[in-house]
Amino acid sequence: MADYREAPLATRPKTLDPAEYFNLSLDQRRAEEERAGLRAQLKRQYQMQLNNPHRKELIEDPALTRWVYARTNPYNHFRATKKTSLLGGLFGVVPLFVLYYVLKTDRDKKEEQIKAGTYDRKFKLAY
Amino acid sequence: MHLQFGCNPPTKSQRRRSEEKNTKKTLDFPKLSPDACVFHCSMSPQQLNMAAVGFRNWARALSKGKQPGFSALFSQVRAASGPSKGMLPGPYPQTPEERAAAAKKYNMRVEDYEPIPDNGEGYGDYPQLPDRSQHERDPWYSWDHPDLRRNWGEPIHWDFDMFIRNRVDTSPSPVAWHTMCKHLFGFVGFMLLMFYLGEKFPSYQPVAPKQYPYSNLHLERGEDPEKQPEEVKHFNI
Repeated sequence: MADYREAPLATRPKTLDPAEYFNLSLDQRRAEEERAGLRAQLKRQYQMQLNNPHRKELIEDPALTRWVYARTNPYNHFRATKKTSLLGGLFGVVPLFVLYYVLKTDRDKKEEQIKAGTYDRKFKLAY
Repeated sequence: MHLQFGCNPPTKSQRRRSEEKNTKKTLDFPKLSPDACVFHCSMSPQQLNMAAVGFRNWARALSKGKQPGFSALFSQVRAASGPSKGMLPGPYPQTPEERAAAAKKYNMRVEDYEPIPDNGEGYGDYPQLPDRSQHERDPWYSWDHPDLRRNWGEPIHWDFDMFIRNRVDTSPSPVAWHTMCKHLFGFVGFMLLMFYLGEKFPSYQPVAPKQYPYSNLHLERGEDPEKQPEEVKHFNI
């Protein structure tokens, strides 16, 4: 056990972390026990619903509902700060103008070349 | 997977209205219009994609909103069949009591619960969980959902859909990340530079235009045999 080496490309499991093995304070132990208690409660709730022979419907996961709700409703808590305004401008406003400018100049140049007869059509397939 | 066409159970206002009609406290399903009903798929909740939830809320709002048409999309009316307001994510917690309530809501210890810093980007009181992908979780533990390596009710990371086992992997790499980056970009950059310089400064064997004998093939090119060909000198000694 003392000479455990992790499998390549894998993280060391939490239970084999030497920092968690020796000289654990009582507070740390209590914290771990509380976490284990929460986990056990959730497991029990799930198993009770899973193995209930009278259950006909899906087992709804409130954590999933909360996650979906949080991801789909960020604008309820949105605030216009310097950073958010900058990002919004950078991704929403600037590309419009930049793309317009780039495409317009490129196509105008091509049009001039075609009119002057100097346009070099590389990779032309049909005559 | 089979599709089951069902109707939402009656909301509080609908129940009140139906109770006025009959004093019995039975679960009466009032006559709902067809577009209030919603498809129920018998897939596990994990496969319920966000588009379905969003569409369901939108259809529900449209069909039962008191305001007709477009403004129904923005009404705050929600069916009572979903979670209560206290169980859904809320604004950033300001007081310790709000923190404790939020920790309880997310099934976390009060000491473990740390909301994502409030910088106006819309996270609300959602907890900040470690940025570790599902690849790093124990493959041998009996998870409730083994493919996702997650237990039921466990708080979900904000970027959970990025950290599933098909996608981003935060497991340790064989060599340090910055070393890998340096090696890759260094090599690619060096090759690009060398090819560019090769284009700019080409170097090849000396070449010259082709030289033909017999006065530049005077007769073969069909010129007058009587006429004296011009002298072309190809060399300088």
